[in-house]
Amino acid sequence: MSTVPTAVDPYDITQRSNGLRRRRIVEKIFGVVAIASALLACAILVTVLATTLYKGFSQLDLTFFTKPRPLFGEKGGIADALVGSAVIVTMAMLMAIPVAILVAIYMAEYARPRVSKGLRVVLDVLNGVPAIVVGIFVFGLLVVGNGQSAIFGAFALAILMLPMVARATQEILEVVPQSLRHASLALGVSKWRTTWNVILPAAIGGILTGVVIAVARIAGETAPLLFTSSIAANQVSLDISGALPTLPVMIYENSESPDPAAQAAGWAAAVVLIGFVLVLNILAKFFAGRKRRQLEGA
Amino acid sequence: MKRVLALGVLVVAAVATAAFAAQTQTASARPSAGSLVGTGATFPFPLISKWIPAVDEALGIRITYTPTGSGTGIAQITARTVDFGGSDAPLSPDQLTACKGCVVIPWALAGLSMPYNIPGLNGRLRLDGTTLANIYLGTITNWNSPFIKRLNPNLNLPDLRITPVYRSDGSGSTYAFTGYLSEISPQWKSKVGQNTTVNFPTGTGARGSSGVAGVVKSTAGAITYVDAAYSITNKFQFALLKNRAGGFATPGVRGVTRALCDLPARVTSLSQLKIVDPPRKCGRLAYPLSTFTYVIVPTSSGDKAADLRRFVYWAVTQGQKFGPPLFFVPLPKQVQGFAYREIKKIQS
Amino acid sequence: MTSTTYEPPAPETDLRRRGIRLGDVLFKGIAIVAALAATVLLGLIAWKILQLARPAIQDFGLSFIWTDAWNPVTNDYGALAFVYGTAVTSIIALVLATPLSVAIALFLTEIAPRKVAAPIATMVELLAAIPSVVLGLWGILVFGPWVRDYLEPWLQDVLGFLPMFSGTPSQAGILPAALVLTIMIIPITSAICRELFIRVPQELMDGSLALGSTRWEAIRGVLLTYAAPGIAAAVLLGLGRAFGEAIAVNQTIGNANIIPTSWFEPGNSLGSKIAAEYAGATSVEQASSILYLAAILMVISLTTNVIAQVIVVRFERARRAV
Repeated sequence: MSTVPTAVDPYDITQRSNGLRRRRIVEKIFGVVAIASALLACAILVTVLATTLYKGFSQLDLTFFTKPRPLFGEKGGIADALVGSAVIVTMAMLMAIPVAILVAIYMAEYARPRVSKGLRVVLDVLNGVPAIVVGIFVFGLLVVGNGQSAIFGAFALAILMLPMVARATQEILEVVPQSLRHASLALGVSKWRTTWNVILPAAIGGILTGVVIAVARIAGETAPLLFTSSIAANQVSLDISGALPTLPVMIYENSESPDPAAQAAGWAAAVVLIGFVLVLNILAKFFAGRKRRQLEGA
Repeated sequence: MKRVLALGVLVVAAVATAAFAAQTQTASARPSAGSLVGTGATFPFPLISKWIPAVDEALGIRITYTPTGSGTGIAQITARTVDFGGSDAPLSPDQLTACKGCVVIPWALAGLSMPYNIPGLNGRLRLDGTTLANIYLGTITNWNSPFIKRLNPNLNLPDLRITPVYRSDGSGSTYAFTGYLSEISPQWKSKVGQNTTVNFPTGTGARGSSGVAGVVKSTAGAITYVDAAYSITNKFQFALLKNRAGGFATPGVRGVTRALCDLPARVTSLSQLKIVDPPRKCGRLAYPLSTFTYVIVPTSSGDKAADLRRFVYWAVTQGQKFGPPLFFVPLPKQVQGFAYREIKKIQS
Repeated sequence: MTSTTYEPPAPETDLRRRGIRLGDVLFKGIAIVAALAATVLLGLIAWKILQLARPAIQDFGLSFIWTDAWNPVTNDYGALAFVYGTAVTSIIALVLATPLSVAIALFLTEIAPRKVAAPIATMVELLAAIPSVVLGLWGILVFGPWVRDYLEPWLQDVLGFLPMFSGTPSQAGILPAALVLTIMIIPITSAICRELFIRVPQELMDGSLALGSTRWEAIRGVLLTYAAPGIAAAVLLGLGRAFGEAIAVNQTIGNANIIPTSWFEPGNSLGSKIAAEYAGATSVEQASSILYLAAILMVISLTTNVIAQVIVVRFERARRAV
């Protein structure tokens, strides 16, 4: 019940906020604003995905996946860019994941707390280096004088992947119960075997989550590849000593073209890329759920 | 865990199969003797695209060319990250020094068209160098300006803001365009000057010939400078430009050929290949915004030298016949002679 | 009866019996090498960028940062137009994204029932998964024209007296780029805020509600105050992301090396300029000036990141003290 408030009596709690009706109105406004914001975010996502699907879907026939990118004024597909992206991402994974897991193991199992904290800072700062700066770095360090190469492109992507996988692994390693370690060591298992055969398998769910998220992120990175693997032939090639075409660079180049065929090919490539990234994200959720169930059961 | 591994193996197998299938489908019939990687000017890319399959067939050399802009072509060949570079801008003395022994060989020739997007215009737009300079300087801002009306008394020019579009990347087209404007307008020369990248006082930038074409296509009131082949392929209207003889010329094969009338009988240096703003004696049909485009090759090219010599020789002879449908003019004899002499300098 | 004398055990010479195993040493060694490699990598990146930028730093000094010039003809360079573009687009994105992200996080943690929250949370995360080049593609071909045809004229009608909403609507400019950045920041900031809000002790919220506050008052008075440092850190991390984004901005900002008065007009940013021009820099001065831009970008990103870390550390220390 509300009345026109006069002086506020500090000991009367129903009077405190200038009237219950007003407070209820504010409450409702907040609720509406919150719901509207969430709906806006969802609407943006749906718009982008729907537009991409709509504009790109018509291009997705079999020839699109088996023909390479066209030269000037012709029609083609994305076969070479698809293969190139797959090769480069795979190489980046091979480069980054072992190193990242080792760094995380060092931080979680061996290092003193101060060193561990310092490494955390290093990894977080590395995570914050913009992708384009990483691209210029690899260009200046490796490409100048040697030419572009899929290996250099993979190296640049690996630099981007490393901190993500390392931090995710480190956090999950810290959550693994100490009892496991103690039990293993008490049984006489050496420390390295403990880590390798007991701790890592227990943490595998979280590690895979981190890996999958990192792969999803770098699969769409354009800036590092612009400087390391952008001058490539319009044919499917597995020659990693030279540059390979990639999906993100292809989308970037097609996005600025006036040719409707090129734009359509760009949309279709975007559909493929988004599809891949979405699948990876769903996979990550699956692994995260598995990890949670495992640790809860342990 | 095992399930994940199995899934991973399946994915890798699928990708490998797809790669193999695609590769067999696209591999050329003849095994290639060599391969050359180049990058640079977007201007000649339509022509080079026609060359790539023809060279593979005739010489067995697999050419890779990615259009990234003349600036990138010069920078990448200087850094030796590619085998040859393409540029519409000849190298400056500093760039030649930095390139440590490069030859610059003209291998194509065409006009730089000025496409525009003015909806509902009842005819072809006519412009001259001074008006273009003022548009890009920002002193003329609307299509119904009296200066433009004066050149086009019969057109229904609308009240529409002009958006001058330029190349944001290092571009030989920019070099040729700003060279033309610097010749015509002392104000342009002092305020902006000529280079592959300049400080455009107004307008929007876009990457590559296709980038600027894209902006013009989607923006009413836009105008840009781009190789004639891009205008033709995208069915743009392009402006007629006034030359010194008082005629309004188009960037077709005839217009560009007339612009060559002042070439010396024997070409000995690149500075003789400047053909923007041709003199009056070239006639009323001469197109004032024509440019040669060059390939940059290091003189010490190691084991690629033989392939490079064969490729460039083929390009300046047989390659030229692919030009006219794309508005590229076959190289005149004296330029071919110059090219032959420069090609000989490419050694291992 | 055997007589036994006590003999002290011989000192262990067998390493294995002493508990030092080769496998352990090797493994720890490899792990140390990996950790060193990561640290060295970071240092190498910083060093290489600064080394390549050194000619420009020596030529222009610190005044490069506030000089408005970019003339490859006269080799006169200055970063102001790009610093301005980066700052303005990122700050606009921040101002728009922060309240939206906080509201989304509040919705997901406080308002929505569990069944609704899960799918919507997934959708917001998926927004983060869209590659920036795809957002840029959408920005050039769909969003930019929409902004030019509907949003900017509307803004001009309503707020046209302000200089930043004057001028001709254009599909490429500060505003479309800033809006694309907003879309990129929202998932990051809202995800961090969501983690924060979940961790607010339920007793504090319950106490406030028990005292008769409405849910919004509890949120405003308790949750947001409690999480304020964390929100600040989340905002800074989103800002760092916005600073570093080069590709999507390059596709939507219009690439004009000027400081525009109106947000409708094209401008340029640090990342976008580097992406556009680095591969094509034709003189040492131009190349090293672009690297100088990269160095500035690196410093800005690192500073933002470090400040966010410091806030998080202080926040955790304060929480532990509570």
